[in-house]
Amino acid sequence: MKKAIPILLLAVAFTACQKEPDPNELSSDLIVYTNYDKSANFGKYTTYALPDSILVLDDKAKPTYFAADDPRTTSIIQAISSEMKTRGYERVMSNADADLGIQVSYVKDTNTIISYASTNPYWWYGYDYYWPGSYWNPYWYGWGPSYAYPITYTYTIGSLIVEIVALEDANATTKKIPVIWTAYMAGIQSSNQFNINRTVSGIYQAFEQSPYILSSVQR
Amino acid sequence: MKSKLSILAIVAVLASAIYTNTASAQIYRPMYFNIDWQFNAIVGDDYADTPTGWGMNFEGGYYVTPKLAIGLYASFHTADKHIGEQLLELSPSSHLFTDQIHSVFQIPFGALLKYRFVEDSMFEPYATLKLGTMYTSTSSTTQVLDFYDEQWGFNVQPEVGVTIYPSAHKRFGIHIAAYYNYATNQSQVLSYNINGINNVGFHLGFSF
Repeated sequence: MKKAIPILLLAVAFTACQKEPDPNELSSDLIVYTNYDKSANFGKYTTYALPDSILVLDDKAKPTYFAADDPRTTSIIQAISSEMKTRGYERVMSNADADLGIQVSYVKDTNTIISYASTNPYWWYGYDYYWPGSYWNPYWYGWGPSYAYPITYTYTIGSLIVEIVALEDANATTKKIPVIWTAYMAGIQSSNQFNINRTVSGIYQAFEQSPYILSSVQR
Repeated sequence: MKSKLSILAIVAVLASAIYTNTASAQIYRPMYFNIDWQFNAIVGDDYADTPTGWGMNFEGGYYVTPKLAIGLYASFHTADKHIGEQLLELSPSSHLFTDQIHSVFQIPFGALLKYRFVEDSMFEPYATLKLGTMYTSTSSTTQVLDFYDEQWGFNVQPEVGVTIYPSAHKRFGIHIAAYYNYATNQSQVLSYNINGINNVGFHLGFSF
């Protein structure tokens, strides 16, 4: 055993010799990840509901929001509405009339709200902490989300999450609302401040890399 | 005529002295050590194929015969490469848009067999075959997330080089070598797959 100690020390010393990548070499601050339910038929939906405020995820027990007249909210809502309109979806103001619901969340100062459930990639532990703060819970009280695809990252401070849920396909027996699209944008802050331009660029990029979000009206 | 014979005699005596000193150093110092700077390039895979000099090589051996040595080797090297913004297909349903810094960190180590073609000379050309294992850490770094894969594999490294001893009286020399290095390590990071690693490079350092 004693003979192994110098070898282990040498191995540790060698590992410490690794040159760490220089983040200054990166030209872009933004990364955009999207995933969707391959069984979802985006073409069959025609309407969607989009709240006029942005959910802020932080360590406070009570959910907080970017207000409707906040420039951050108006920029985000405008970018999403523009993309959805281009793809043939009509925005409706009543949740009851909407086929789809869009939830927008800004992760402000917590990164522990969601963790990966390795035993079942379709479910997330801790997500119920996040979900009650959503817009869909008061309307669909006691309901939770269901994913048909795994997501293998942990949400990071200063990121934006946009999700499309299929309200039309909510399961009354299981009380689950299918989440059919997730977009995750990180790097939307600069100097620890919310960067509107970078956020809007991220939203456009998320839709650009998701050409399958297309109503039959546009096909 | 006498002066010419004297010069020849002096040269013969000096040559004999140098030969004796070198030979005696060889006889009483059968071990050798090399410490080198390493310049390396990954070839055959463009994940991180930028040649870099972020590495070192260490080896030591013992001459079991005047020309044949056995020993141990270890080295480390990092290769970095910036990848501009691009859209990666992580699965049929998921995509990631980002720019990245690809990095491959390698630590091969194991045993070696060295054969020097000339002994007791100022220039000692040699060939070495190194066999062992290799640890690799393959990573992709973005502004907010890092993706890693660590793997082990079998390593083989043929090398040719020369050790230059400027002074016949001291067993301290300059070491220059060129090598090829192959390891069976397989890595998967994001949508990239690496199936075996090929390296070429050179060592420049000291031998004592």
